[in-house]
Amino acid sequence: MLENIVFYGLEALVILSALAMISIRSPIYSALCLVMVMVGVAGIFVTLNAYFLAAVQLIVYAGAVTVLFVMVVMMIDLKKNGRSFSKGLLGNSLKAFSVGLIWSLIATSVIYVFSDIGRGDLPKISEGTFQMKELAAHLFTKYIFGFEAICILLLLVIVGTVALSRAKGGTHVRND
Amino acid sequence: MGTYNVEIAINCIKIIVLFLIMVQLVPLLVWIERRGSAFIQHRFGPNRVGPLGLFQLLADAVKFLNKEEFVPEQANKKLFYLAPVIALIPAALAFLAIPLGTPFDVVIDEATQFSIPMQGAVIPMGILYILGVSSLAAYSLLIAGWSSANKYSLMGALRASAQMISYELAMGLAIIGVILVNGTFDLTEIIQQQEGPLSFVFRGQSYEVSFLPNWGIFYQPLGFILFLVAAFAESNRTPFDLPEAEAELVAGYHTEYSGFKMNLFYIGEYGHMMVASALLSIFYFGGYGTGIPGFGVAELGEYINQSLGPSQYNSLILSLVLFGISFIKIFFFLWIFIWVRWTLPRFRYDQLMDLGWKTLLPWSLVNIFISAIVVYVANV
Repeated sequence: MLENIVFYGLEALVILSALAMISIRSPIYSALCLVMVMVGVAGIFVTLNAYFLAAVQLIVYAGAVTVLFVMVVMMIDLKKNGRSFSKGLLGNSLKAFSVGLIWSLIATSVIYVFSDIGRGDLPKISEGTFQMKELAAHLFTKYIFGFEAICILLLLVIVGTVALSRAKGGTHVRND
Repeated sequence: MGTYNVEIAINCIKIIVLFLIMVQLVPLLVWIERRGSAFIQHRFGPNRVGPLGLFQLLADAVKFLNKEEFVPEQANKKLFYLAPVIALIPAALAFLAIPLGTPFDVVIDEATQFSIPMQGAVIPMGILYILGVSSLAAYSLLIAGWSSANKYSLMGALRASAQMISYELAMGLAIIGVILVNGTFDLTEIIQQQEGPLSFVFRGQSYEVSFLPNWGIFYQPLGFILFLVAAFAESNRTPFDLPEAEAELVAGYHTEYSGFKMNLFYIGEYGHMMVASALLSIFYFGGYGTGIPGFGVAELGEYINQSLGPSQYNSLILSLVLFGISFIKIFFFLWIFIWVRWTLPRFRYDQLMDLGWKTLLPWSLVNIFISAIVVYVANV
């Protein structure tokens, strides 16, 4: 009973904040709604006993990535930004088309993922610290290739950012 | 929350009491801060109102409540009011997950007996929860700085968010050392493993130093220093108070705030200090443990049982004694926070970033590397 109330409350929070995020015009409010989505999703992970995922969701997405979004949005002139939305039939139909494309891609991947899983025989999530051990074992044995590939990709992005910021002025430009 | 109505009621009241303890400690800490700074600078400090100037805080609280409600004309009013409220939430949520003593038993009659944990909520993987919740603290500073429509406030907010993200990394990596040594994410288990004399098993051979407690600082000395520095930066205290550097930014993100709204920012800052102090005492100084080898929590419980005779209130007395011990340790670290504030000058901004990324981050990686190798070799 109580679990149901918590779960549906969190679902409502996530869906309403997600709707608000894409329908509010002001970028700052939409970034803050994104934070609410992240916090709500972390709460849903907690109701599913996936504490590690919940904590990572909070620390990485809500605590670091979206902070950077908000920080960048705060540097933009919001009044100018509001006028720069394109109007007209062609522009709007392009937007509707791309939104539909993205939505159908997401829906297809969700259906694809769930078609693999048999009903009722899902492995139970383990408790406490053992949960992390299991996750780490999977990450560093079965999925090691994808894990390392993402690491290299992120490293490339970081090196590229540093190289770019050094090349074209800024606070860390090289003086030689 | 519990099966019996009484149990649920006690748990709810306990959460409120713990929150009130956190909030009510703030005026006391402000008094310690003002008197302590005066002591360090050879002044008197507030000493006119009441004994030792203690009632000055009461007068200040009344002043805060009576001040004019002021919102700048260009400010975003909704966010301007929201920011101080958000400032209070992460610290309060994090403080509720900290174990402050052993659970105590409540006996209503033969059938209804239950034990109440001495912490706001028992959360599995408490370390992750505290890290996750306190990482949301940057939003209050960001929103406050932006919605004030003031250049100094925005500069303070940007500094604050950059600083918090940079030092969160070093803090998290320092905690990984603690997790490697203790092998758990549970704060209570970490405290229990630090009971008794310093003893460890190295390659099948066990060693014991009988006159030292089994505290984490003997296993993670470098991790302790890294965590201490990162904790100072995370709670925006001097020498890391660049978000509110008075000399450069007036008062940083809370320049435009006055009265009780500014007070809420203060409560949030002191709340972060309390959480950081509690974590320092739990990770490196045995939390609510007594710290005397040979007279740990179990022996203390035995002593209370023997001297008072068997009674249903003994577990409550033990719990309250341990609560006192954990608060003594927390106050010790709070005093270090205050001491450092009035001793060290502020960093320059580039020094802050260099310290975070070029010193703390590599050293915390070295700490993890060495700890991992030692833990692996010891258990081969």
